[in-house]
Amino acid sequence: MTEENKPINEDLMKLVIMRVEAAPSNWKLSIGSSGSLSKKEIIDHIKKGDEIGSQIVNSHLAFLKAVASGEFTKAISSV
Amino acid sequence: MKKGMIVSLPNSDLVTQYISYYSSFVEKEAENKNIPIKKLSGEDANMEEFNKVVSKLNYSFIFINGHGSENEIFGQREPLLKIGINHKLMKDRVVYARSCNSALVLGKACVEDSNGCYIGYNLPFQFYNDGNWSGNPEKDPLAGLFIEPSNLIPISLIKGNSAEFADKNSKQMMLKRINKTLQENSEGAFQISLAMWNNYEFLILNPQKLIENKWFFLLLILLEF
Repeated sequence: MTEENKPINEDLMKLVIMRVEAAPSNWKLSIGSSGSLSKKEIIDHIKKGDEIGSQIVNSHLAFLKAVASGEFTKAISSV
Repeated sequence: MKKGMIVSLPNSDLVTQYISYYSSFVEKEAENKNIPIKKLSGEDANMEEFNKVVSKLNYSFIFINGHGSENEIFGQREPLLKIGINHKLMKDRVVYARSCNSALVLGKACVEDSNGCYIGYNLPFQFYNDGNWSGNPEKDPLAGLFIEPSNLIPISLIKGNSAEFADKNSKQMMLKRINKTLQENSEGAFQISLAMWNNYEFLILNPQKLIENKWFFLLLILLEF
């Protein structure tokens, strides 16, 4: 099973949705060929666990890992 | 190989409209450096036209905007560059692909047995735009925050810098912007940091070939590119 096909862990899904909901309401996310997504559309993709939803969750996960490992802090403190 | 840039500018949806609009700043830099440019805009961004101009003009720098996947990058309606079809045309050229996911498979194929270089993304390229200005990229106050750092890659190359320098330059701009956003605790700071960190992970394939092939590299510099 590939990373993208794995069912999204429910706790992770809730965390990501909470983060998505905190975005300013007029912001739209462009990711891949999905067009420009409103918060509601992003959340729908995440809940469905489709390809776009998985991409969004994976990018949150990668970011949180970079923060937790110190990689992110190290990078931003280098400039 | 001749000094010059071929740029694909599809505009079939909001995403391609935005990245094509921001390419105009790269074109201005190329014009300032007297680098010939061939634009493939809208319907002209198709494989037949692309193959024709790449072969005929033989320009050294290819800047591709468009939706992508592991194996292909789209023009306006159809693939513009596809593995196994026309990727060999990229041999010995410098390619920057502002598209999703194309680096590891298509990019790798493009630099096989080549003295060229491929800069692309292994993840979906992300940006936010202001929904109040959707479809109006020149007035959108948000999208540039994400797209401008990616412009620094082709702009650095046009100015005669190496692919590695272009990489560093672009990444530093992203980090400075993340830093500023976090320090000012701007609205959406988390989302900005996350999307920019995602774009931070682009790949340069084969940069050492450009350095190994010093005469080719020197020639590009002498030609102001």
